[in-house]
Amino acid sequence: MPSRAGILAARPASRSGASLVRRPLVVAAIGIALLLTALVAGIAAGSVTIAPADTLGILARRLLGLDIAPTWTAAAETIVVDLRLPRVLTAMVVGGGLAVAGAAFQGLLRNPLADPYVLGTASGAALGAAIAVLIPVRALILQFGLLHALAFLGALTAVTVVYRLSRVGASAPMTSLLLTGYAVGSLLAAGLAMAMYLSGTGLRQIFSYLLGGFDASSWIRLAVAAPLIGLASLAILLRARSLNGMLLGEEAAAHLGVDVRRERAILLALASLATAASVAISGLIGFVGLVAPHVVRLLVGPNARLVLPLAALLGASLMVGADLVARLLGEIPVGVVTAVIGAPFFLALLRRAHAGYEL
Amino acid sequence: MATFIRFRARRTATQATHFGGRWRGVPLALALTLVVALAACGGTGSPAPSTAAAPSPTATAAPTAPPTTAPAFPVAISDDEGTVVSIAAEPQRIVSLTPAATEILFAIGAGDRVVAKVEDINPWPPEADGLPVVATYQGVDVEQIVALRADLVIAGGLSFTPPNAVNQLRSLGIPVVVLYAESIDEALAGIRAIGIATGEAAAAADLSTATRTEMDRLAALTAGLDRPTTFYEIDATTDIYTVPADSLYAELLILAGADPITTDASYQISLERLITANPSVILLGDGGYTTAADVASRPGWSGIQAVIDGNIAVVDDALITRPGPRLVDGLRALIRALHPEVLP
Repeated sequence: MPSRAGILAARPASRSGASLVRRPLVVAAIGIALLLTALVAGIAAGSVTIAPADTLGILARRLLGLDIAPTWTAAAETIVVDLRLPRVLTAMVVGGGLAVAGAAFQGLLRNPLADPYVLGTASGAALGAAIAVLIPVRALILQFGLLHALAFLGALTAVTVVYRLSRVGASAPMTSLLLTGYAVGSLLAAGLAMAMYLSGTGLRQIFSYLLGGFDASSWIRLAVAAPLIGLASLAILLRARSLNGMLLGEEAAAHLGVDVRRERAILLALASLATAASVAISGLIGFVGLVAPHVVRLLVGPNARLVLPLAALLGASLMVGADLVARLLGEIPVGVVTAVIGAPFFLALLRRAHAGYEL
Repeated sequence: MATFIRFRARRTATQATHFGGRWRGVPLALALTLVVALAACGGTGSPAPSTAAAPSPTATAAPTAPPTTAPAFPVAISDDEGTVVSIAAEPQRIVSLTPAATEILFAIGAGDRVVAKVEDINPWPPEADGLPVVATYQGVDVEQIVALRADLVIAGGLSFTPPNAVNQLRSLGIPVVVLYAESIDEALAGIRAIGIATGEAAAAADLSTATRTEMDRLAALTAGLDRPTTFYEIDATTDIYTVPADSLYAELLILAGADPITTDASYQISLERLITANPSVILLGDGGYTTAADVASRPGWSGIQAVIDGNIAVVDDALITRPGPRLVDGLRALIRALHPEVLP
């Protein structure tokens, strides 16, 4: 973390030519290094000890197709290839997706407290998942059960309802959107409470969904969710210009030639899609989507062209790291880890905000 | 050629709503989930051996040498969630994810092939003590199960084993049989299912039959007796939890000569209803946490007949709530508490 003086210096400095190029590159390099470290650590560590050489051998053989004579057991290979690898990659994709969605929501709503769940996605997904637990259907399609399907649909439905309800005449003002999101979220939370009350032994399953986790990751689930999250995030990245325009306010954005209503609807839809796909496979994991964009803004300033990709990198690293910590502490819910790391961090961030930080 | 054995026709997992939780009281609800779930599958009371002093002859009966008939494997069984589980060859590395399954595996002679078990806070049998623990209430360590090269996993239904873990193990090609019991018949069917899955079908069938015979004999002892109105306490730390009408526990209590006060699938009962039912006997399944004196001092309980008469007894809930080979000991313990005159 930069010193207070560093932050104060960074903002004016980022306007000058040399630093504008150099600083983001340094941050990107650090982000990539961080992500790679987290990925390697995530694959190397787990409840079963596998020698690092064996782990590398397995990866080289299975991923790079190298012809290495196995010095390891078939079980070790299954653990690395079918359990740990899809798990760290899922954490990476979800962390990146949530960070991009968080950055988009913060920019769109011009609210530093916005996170991917602000418009009811979380409560919608949670209610969907809880209802799925109450319905005794066990069918799995592509390893996705009713829980994932209803969580995904619940998240998207909640956002759609919030968006429609918040429209006043032709436009959907920001404050109205936020307040509607809050109201609908509260209503859905009541539904969730009722579903939990009725769930009996399923309560545990609902609760573990609410706290989130990557313990059920698999290649097939990743293959379904990653394209959704990846494409939605990429599409948001490509609209960084609109997001930058909207940071200046709707009028200013309109003057810059941004079709505010259309762009906002598209960005909201994309961010909600990335969020819904994320929560469907990993449950509700908080703080990454809130904190990662803020940290990046502190480092490189508010330009969405930089904030979005760097937030994706940081979010991915944070999530893989948090999942590793969760695993090493005996499969505690990853949402607990991100909150324990994220909340104090966010508090520190708020204190720094007095030093002139703005969205 | 797979022998397809449908040992129990059942609808897909009925999600019995065991008890409720409140949104604001989620930690509390979870704690209670823990208590009841462990009671249901593990038992939370006093150490088992004390009340199970006389080991049940049925539980430990040496199974008659299983006649080696037609090859038993490959075999396909439909488990309690309706999933058809195929087992290619006789399992040599079995993982037990419920305390009841651990007991059953050892009772039918498959104990030497068990390589890991679920955490058991009321461990039984002693032979299983040294086994590595690969699952706790928090979750299942799938990596460990893979590393142990498990070729059969017995898991618990009604979310006792997280469904995610079951799916993941199955996706890795490890057969998982999910079992749960809401009646004595289902518990006995579970014993036979584990027998078929492990190649100990004959021993399991013997155990199941012997358990049923002994239960019938014990039930006959109480058949003509007065049935005291009985409250079986699962937990009363905050809300009061007792047995649902349609459950294995209520069935055992009735066989033991009780007229049990029952509730619905929420397991909860209000103090008002309890006082109105006015039990003449209170059985404490949570005797590890509470005593007769605690019960008497609870506000509102002093007028209950059982409290006035001091008819409050502690029973070992591991015997009663665990659908395994010691159910018959549980029945015996209940009869001793309720009708000591017929079973000293």
